[in-house]
Amino acid sequence: MEESMTTSQGGESDMECSDNEFYDYYNSNDDIDIEQIDPRNIDPEYFEYNCLLEEQVDRLLNETVETLSNNLQIPPSLAKVLLHSNQWNINEVTKKFNDNSTQTLIAARIEPDAPPSSLLLTRLSSYVYCSVCATLQHFENFHNLSCAHMFCNECWTMHFEVQINQGISTGIACMARDCIVLAPEDFVLKHLQRPNMREKYQQFSFQDYVKSHPFLRFCPGPNCSIVVHSKDIKAKRATCNQCKTIFCFKCGCDYHAPTDCHVIKKWLTKCADDSETANYISAHTKDCPKCHICIEKNGGCNHMQCYNCKHDFCWMCLGDWKSHGSEYYECSRYRENPNIAHESVHAQAREALKKYLHYYERWENHSKSLKLEEQTLEKLRSRINQNVMSGLGTWIDWQYLFTAANLLAKCRYTLQYTYPYAYYMEGGSRKELFEYQQAQLEAEIENLSWKIERAETTNRGDLENQMDIAEKRRTTLLKDFLDE
Amino acid sequence: MASLPRRIIKETQRLMQEPVPGISAVPDDSNARYFHVIVTGPEDSPFEGGLFKLELFLPEDYPMSAPKVRFITKIYHPNIDRLGRICLDILKDKWSPALQIRTVLLSIQALLSAPNPDDPLANDVAELWKVNESEAIRNAKEWTRRYAMDN
Repeated sequence: MEESMTTSQGGESDMECSDNEFYDYYNSNDDIDIEQIDPRNIDPEYFEYNCLLEEQVDRLLNETVETLSNNLQIPPSLAKVLLHSNQWNINEVTKKFNDNSTQTLIAARIEPDAPPSSLLLTRLSSYVYCSVCATLQHFENFHNLSCAHMFCNECWTMHFEVQINQGISTGIACMARDCIVLAPEDFVLKHLQRPNMREKYQQFSFQDYVKSHPFLRFCPGPNCSIVVHSKDIKAKRATCNQCKTIFCFKCGCDYHAPTDCHVIKKWLTKCADDSETANYISAHTKDCPKCHICIEKNGGCNHMQCYNCKHDFCWMCLGDWKSHGSEYYECSRYRENPNIAHESVHAQAREALKKYLHYYERWENHSKSLKLEEQTLEKLRSRINQNVMSGLGTWIDWQYLFTAANLLAKCRYTLQYTYPYAYYMEGGSRKELFEYQQAQLEAEIENLSWKIERAETTNRGDLENQMDIAEKRRTTLLKDFLDE
Repeated sequence: MASLPRRIIKETQRLMQEPVPGISAVPDDSNARYFHVIVTGPEDSPFEGGLFKLELFLPEDYPMSAPKVRFITKIYHPNIDRLGRICLDILKDKWSPALQIRTVLLSIQALLSAPNPDDPLANDVAELWKVNESEAIRNAKEWTRRYAMDN
């Protein structure tokens, strides 16, 4: 009786007994967990990254340098050389250094591989001969790196300036013959007085540091100085927050999911080599398969309707569109000749070209469609303006059309990049699954494009439903085929 | 024109006073940075008996940058092309300001004794040197006799 009194009245004692007495359904924290589903599990393109300004990158690098410098009790400039030559992996450098400090310093070209001869260090008088400018000077005018090769300050300055003018910064070595000891930052800067030289040196070495750092990538946008930072070195989509350039974090080129970095490189090289042939073969106009009137494609959608005979057909395969709206959509799939192994070399070459052209045409077609749909978006914008002006809804009412157009571009972009993936894929059940999903995505995207081009006559709910389906198809394909 | 750096004066003096055996390097009368060079073909090489003319120029930022050297006499060698340009590491990425005209010319002479067809400049010559060395050596001797022996 007493127990039930306490619980029903609530109060402080409630907290104490709730654990073992009964499950507090309303006040438990479990439902917060439900809301915080790890986005990695739903979104195959999920990617955590930051866009950093130059100062922020400097700070990040300097923090690492300082930590290592404190850990190993070495000057910061040497810590920087060590990190630069070890991909900025502070744990690995620390481990290597603790295992064998001499070897680590030699490998990073901080110390010479043979101890400097004692001759180099003994001075007979207060005057020293500089072998580079062939003059005798007071020893106070001389400096040397760990290798003990002494040269006068003017020669060091000249040496650094000549190297920097060739774009060399972190890789400047000692002037002595066959000596590979590197000049660390503080040593170089000590010898550079001219402000433009110091600036150039710092700019070039900054570039070297970023390029050697696995977590950092320069934004490839023109004249953009943003550096993207992520601890996840994967072929994921990064969007620059300044110039809005979208690129693959791993390779720094255009984003290319679901294809991976080395395959897309191979594909683009191939396309660049073969583009003339392909351009020649795929003309910009086609004849209507029914009434044979010449048709120029002026929109992104592949569902064509002949303005002359009203025949609906597919731009890619020229087949009846009826078969494309259903699950029999197969226009994206390339059907290989099963007897090709027994054919002549000539026939095999022709087949290889045919196969390549099949994928290339679709790749190229989606790229063109993306551009045409940008024009559609412009037309849409002016039509919406007209609607708003004549009192048909407010600007906000029509925003969903822009969302739809953006989604269409995103989906078509992914679809474009599925073609190189399929081209290099080996035959088998996995390829069949891929091409099935690709075909599904293709069909839904064409539906979406058709509906957006006819936005006024399309019901909003219908369009939003189509958007949802298209995006689901896209994520499903990426979930299954985007390699981690 | 800026005065000649002490380093170049010193090097020129020493080249005159203690010439390297088999090599002569004389500065041009009107340009102290331009040298007329003659290298004798090393013994026991297909270039033996030949006198090879070269030109050597010390650029503005010498010795921070390497001298520019070129064969004027035609020579059949896998590391020297038709224009007489030489493929030698110390003239490129392995240049050090501590190297001198004298060391460069010695290296070129050594290159005549030991051609390196794996790092070729003249592809056709290098190819023959690898496939049929005796024929390549015959060609080199023939070129030496034809271009490097008269005058």
